[in-house]
Amino acid sequence: MKSDDPVTNETVERLCAQADLPLGLERRTRLVPMLAGLIAAANELSRKMAAAAHQSILPILRFPER
Amino acid sequence: MAQGDPLDLTIIEAAAQLEGRRLSPVELTEAMLQRIAKVDKQIRAYITVCDAQAREVARAAERMIQAGYCLGPLHGIPVALKDNIYTRGVRTTAGSKILSDYVPSEDATVAARLKRAGAIIVGKTNMHEFAWGGTTDNPHHGTCRNPWNPERFPAGSSGGSGAAVAARTCLGALGTDTGGSIRLPSSVNGIVGIRPTIGRVSNYNVVPLAWTMDTVSPMTRTVEDCVVMFEVIAGYDPFDEHSAQVPVADYRGELGRPVHGLRVGLIRDYSLTHVQKAVGDAVRAALKTLEGLGARIEEIAMPSIHGNISAQLTIESCEPSAYHQEWLRTRAADYGEDVRTLLESGEMYLATHYIQAQRYRSLLRKEFLEGFKRVDVFVTPTLPFTATPCGATEVVIEGNRKEDMLSAIMQFTGVPSLAGLPALSLPVGFDPDGLPVGMQVIGRPFDEGTLFRVGHAYQQVTDWHTRSPRL
Repeated sequence: MKSDDPVTNETVERLCAQADLPLGLERRTRLVPMLAGLIAAANELSRKMAAAAHQSILPILRFPER
Repeated sequence: MAQGDPLDLTIIEAAAQLEGRRLSPVELTEAMLQRIAKVDKQIRAYITVCDAQAREVARAAERMIQAGYCLGPLHGIPVALKDNIYTRGVRTTAGSKILSDYVPSEDATVAARLKRAGAIIVGKTNMHEFAWGGTTDNPHHGTCRNPWNPERFPAGSSGGSGAAVAARTCLGALGTDTGGSIRLPSSVNGIVGIRPTIGRVSNYNVVPLAWTMDTVSPMTRTVEDCVVMFEVIAGYDPFDEHSAQVPVADYRGELGRPVHGLRVGLIRDYSLTHVQKAVGDAVRAALKTLEGLGARIEEIAMPSIHGNISAQLTIESCEPSAYHQEWLRTRAADYGEDVRTLLESGEMYLATHYIQAQRYRSLLRKEFLEGFKRVDVFVTPTLPFTATPCGATEVVIEGNRKEDMLSAIMQFTGVPSLAGLPALSLPVGFDPDGLPVGMQVIGRPFDEGTLFRVGHAYQQVTDWHTRSPRL
């Protein structure tokens, strides 16, 4: 899956298979419109954070005690 | 002889009467339990009412006072805990069907600390299922309602704690806050709530939502009461790997300091942008009040602020889905529809999405720390809108455009959650329908004291926090 591919029923089916999450057609169909918005927004943020200006920034998983 | 209706007392006022033996813990607890019996069929702020246990503890608290022992300002004070906080011997459902019969064998650290301080737990409060949502429209334990208008939502996920305090069924409550779950219900229920710096208050034995953002903290009617509860639960806990070994400040001492000269920051094109008119008006009026107390307002640019909702949704989707991975495969039908869908969607993100969202947090934090060189606190509304009708999944903020509730609700509270900063919500007015408006004050890491100082100074010259819903 490329980051700019639209989210379709087939995309969700493929991601479910990769995640070993057996969802029926009805549930996969329900996810498509929701994921279309969420993944598009996540892609936009990813593009922003991938910019050269931000290359030195590390992910936060734990905050410093100061 | 008790002075005034026990239901209207703040923690500070009740503590003075209890210590002076003008009010007994039994009398106060009984008043709360009777209030719960009267109003909670309608509000559904509680999942479990601990009436027998509360009465027993109240009698013990009373015997101690009669013998001349007082454990401090929470001795004999009835409080409630959100139902994702472990309580030994009392079921802890996390608002779910999956944990509906779960009875922990030990307390959460925060519950143990409250008990040691003499607090009386009257019940476990309703919440959005597993804290994954902001409405407290709970399919397993009932829809929680807003005491100011039961047709409106109490927000969430700590909606039960917010409604319980506002409805005068306890003097204070604990909630949990990942992306806004204490501040949102504090705002729409017209009460005070603080999200602490991550690591300031132990998360030990609290059912998680998103490990890198979860916090626990009090919800009360006044800032002063919030401080009393916060001082008891704050501090290092060796059982919590994220707990910080940072000394706990003298927060009550901080309350006496003036705000004259305090620098208040507004984030350009963000702090007062895209909000309902009544919300913007109330927050602007509150800023005027702070200026009248000698605070200075300064506008600051924060170029990265607008990625916040996506980052929050990404992290709050991925981390819960990791926690719930096994149940989603073995007990999917036991989740409510909204939470099940969110958990399923959380498995569809790419690893790069999650990592970039965590990197965004570093960027946002850096910009805030830079901003704190020029100001002492930042201010935003807590929510861009007031309480919506129960069951609504969309909201109108400006014009006639309907927006998705989940994203809209995160507009302001997600920012300090992502940046790991403390943030206080306090009531600053009402909209034309009589629904409360809240203001969020964001502080430096581990500087909860300044937030309490600002909130307390504001409450000394305003009376929004003294108003009660009619139930």
